[in-house]
Amino acid sequence: MSIFRLAAAHWRVNALNELQYRVNLVVQLFQSLIALATGLIGLSLVFRQTDDLAGWSRPELLAVMGVHLLMGGIIQAVVQPNMQRLMGDVQNGLFDYSLVKPVDAQALSSVRELRIWQVVDVLVGAAVLAVAVVQLDARVGVGQALWFVVALVLGALSIYSFWLILTTGVFWIIRIENIVELFQGVYQAGRWPVGIYPPWLRGGLTFLVPVAFAVTVPSEAMTGRLTPQTMALAFGVAVGLMAVARGVWRLGVRRYGGASA
Amino acid sequence: MIDPHPAVWARDLAKTFRVPEREAGVLAAVKSLVHRRMKDVAAVKGVTFRLEPGEVVGFLGPNGAGKTTTLKMLAGLLHPTAGQAAVLGHVPWKRERALLSRITLVMGNRNQMQWDLPALDSFALNAAIYRLPPAEFARTRDELIDLMGVGELVTKPVRNLSLGERMKMEFIASLLHRPQVLFLDEPTIGLDVTAQRTLRQFVAEYNRRTGATVLLTSHYMADVTALCRRVIVIHHGSLLYDGDLAGLGEQFAAYKTLGVTLDGADGAVAGVDWAAFGEVVATDGAKVTIQVPRASASAVAARVLSELQVADLTIEDPPIDEVIARVFAAGAATAAAGTDGDDVATPSVVEPAATSTA
Amino acid sequence: MLRLYAGAARMSILDQLQYRTANYLYMIGMIAEPVIYLVVWSTVADSEGGTVGGYSAGALAAYYIVWTLVRNMNIVLTPYAWEWRIKDGQLSGELLKPIHPIHRDLGGFAGWKIVTILYWLPIAAILVWLFPPAFSTDTFSVLAFVVALWGGFLVRFMLLWALGLVTFWTTRVGAIFDVFFTVELLASGRLVPLSLMPPWAQAAADWLPFQWAFQFPIETLIGRLSRAEILRGLGMQAFWTLVGVGILTLVWPMAVKRYSAVGG
Repeated sequence: MSIFRLAAAHWRVNALNELQYRVNLVVQLFQSLIALATGLIGLSLVFRQTDDLAGWSRPELLAVMGVHLLMGGIIQAVVQPNMQRLMGDVQNGLFDYSLVKPVDAQALSSVRELRIWQVVDVLVGAAVLAVAVVQLDARVGVGQALWFVVALVLGALSIYSFWLILTTGVFWIIRIENIVELFQGVYQAGRWPVGIYPPWLRGGLTFLVPVAFAVTVPSEAMTGRLTPQTMALAFGVAVGLMAVARGVWRLGVRRYGGASA
Repeated sequence: MIDPHPAVWARDLAKTFRVPEREAGVLAAVKSLVHRRMKDVAAVKGVTFRLEPGEVVGFLGPNGAGKTTTLKMLAGLLHPTAGQAAVLGHVPWKRERALLSRITLVMGNRNQMQWDLPALDSFALNAAIYRLPPAEFARTRDELIDLMGVGELVTKPVRNLSLGERMKMEFIASLLHRPQVLFLDEPTIGLDVTAQRTLRQFVAEYNRRTGATVLLTSHYMADVTALCRRVIVIHHGSLLYDGDLAGLGEQFAAYKTLGVTLDGADGAVAGVDWAAFGEVVATDGAKVTIQVPRASASAVAARVLSELQVADLTIEDPPIDEVIARVFAAGAATAAAGTDGDDVATPSVVEPAATSTA
Repeated sequence: MLRLYAGAARMSILDQLQYRTANYLYMIGMIAEPVIYLVVWSTVADSEGGTVGGYSAGALAAYYIVWTLVRNMNIVLTPYAWEWRIKDGQLSGELLKPIHPIHRDLGGFAGWKIVTILYWLPIAAILVWLFPPAFSTDTFSVLAFVVALWGGFLVRFMLLWALGLVTFWTTRVGAIFDVFFTVELLASGRLVPLSLMPPWAQAAADWLPFQWAFQFPIETLIGRLSRAEILRGLGMQAFWTLVGVGILTLVWPMAVKRYSAVGG
């Protein structure tokens, strides 16, 4: 598939370049550890007062935190930098160059950037998740791990599609530049299972901003809570959001070219 | 008869933009939230032309004349409101892969090179995007680097390069896939004279080697006179002229210059009432250059010959850049009145008409 | 001096009004954080029989709703600003003026805060509707809150302004600021009310200025403090502001000297 070749070419170049700046690794490591420490302190404060939070035990919530860090790393490494570059390109008129290339412009715009040091977050998240799994007493089988990976991929695709819709739709129509901060604020909600939020907020975190599918559902897969229905829903939402994102993209490009629908 | 295979053709190509009309003030801003008043702005009003394979054509016009809009339609970036066009036999705005891999677009002041990476890396990315076979890519890349004479710069991060050097890299990156049609939109804008000359020679040589078709807009007449035998002039979205660069003077120069060298001593020049013939532009020893209205040029020449002791007489069109500057200046004055809108934002580098033509 | 403050405040008010959409989105984005804390701790309170650390769900709601105002009041000049102030050469211009640059900053941010309070009111109304709070407030605590709110602003303004001066001595300020903000998050009452912390952490927080800029104004309004505690808190705000002034009097001349030695 050509998108993988495109991604491989761009990521290789980006990674090789960033690898020259080792200092950034130290900075990233430091920030990841601070985020980890803050998260752990928050978790321990909660469990000073209670033994379970809305049915989630301590190791289970640790797993949620691990997935949250891991997914956050993926978003910051790939999704967000590409969308930010796309916004910049549209503003500077550089998007023209993406359109005259003989490849799908959406694919190209989605794979050009990679922040390799953000992988530290992914690794820290994976480590936290591993610790949580050990504490869960071998309740995790190969099947669960497999479903976890599937759920994680679906979650990442949902978040990507959401970001793309935001970038194309919102940015081209009303030009909001603070959506990065807005998204990061909302993404913090994923640190806890969405089940604890009041229904209106849970709905928003599930269907409006797909944090539930990015973090909670993979965590459910890892902690053996995943029902086939939830998995089917995650699949449906991922596919649906990707289709909507594609549609909004097409519309945005048509608008850009002045071919009013 | 229309040749079935021109490289580029456009027929009655037109583009109208709908833009929101906004008045100043808070009240107007609030009103526009509820009801946006839209206004139609015709950027291109139906242009027809064709470029044969291998031609290098200058696309001229004042700011806001519709050059960039036309170029963007031909490059497939904009949908026309009306009319037809084809590039290498494809409808450009369908953006078919087969077409996009055979054309290129270079815009001055808009750099698509990866800022933090050496140019070589950006070249490699383009090779992946255009799916160039590695051996062919390496050959073309080295040939272009050599032709541009930038061998030692391609390993430096692009951010460390000068504006001119960056533009050179931009050209190499844009030609790696050996496009057959080049759309160049103000490619030398803001560059120093040396860099401009290098780029010009590069484009000429690329055209010579590959037989590619080039459509070029530029505000620097040197670009146009060095590269283009043919020019298309567009004004207010309509075609004003399409033909030889040399013929432009015939159509637009209101004056001709007469160079008169008198027989006899130096004092002879002073004894003549030159104002009776035309406006004196320069006096150099026994040679006097005067400007006369185009229509009466031959009559004045006849009078000069009969009334004065003439050793030599020349009749010339004014230099081509003066002619074009005149066309531009006339256009700019009307564009400033605010009708067209596509590239109004680009800074004007048009010099005012060099000589007084009034 | 007063004219300078009024001028700086007026300019920043106009500025903020102009970018109201962006400002509003920023404030809305910031609501996510307290809402998350509020939901988590309300869930804990529910499972522990209605209260946690002396807070009922309603009291928690009150805490985190007032939190949103105090947090906004607490946004002052970021210490990162010094980096580009120095690089940009903007500082050189400031130093030429016959008045200490802190006054213009203080006036500007104070003006912004007036706009912030106005913007906050509708947000507060929505939050009150979504998460019914329980206040036990009297007239005295409301009046004291008005003072404490601005006192908190002043404390944090002085602290961060002083912290930013680190930039004059090192270029790797990110790590220092990160640690500072993390400690602040934990010891100010921003993450959780300090009474939910282990006793040793509360004791440590008592030695730090952070809670006087954050938790103290909140608890003043929601009515968890006695009059004596409120008066002591206002005293602590004054104390830490003076500490800030002291640091600045000492450090600022050194910073300027270093700046002019290194060159801008």
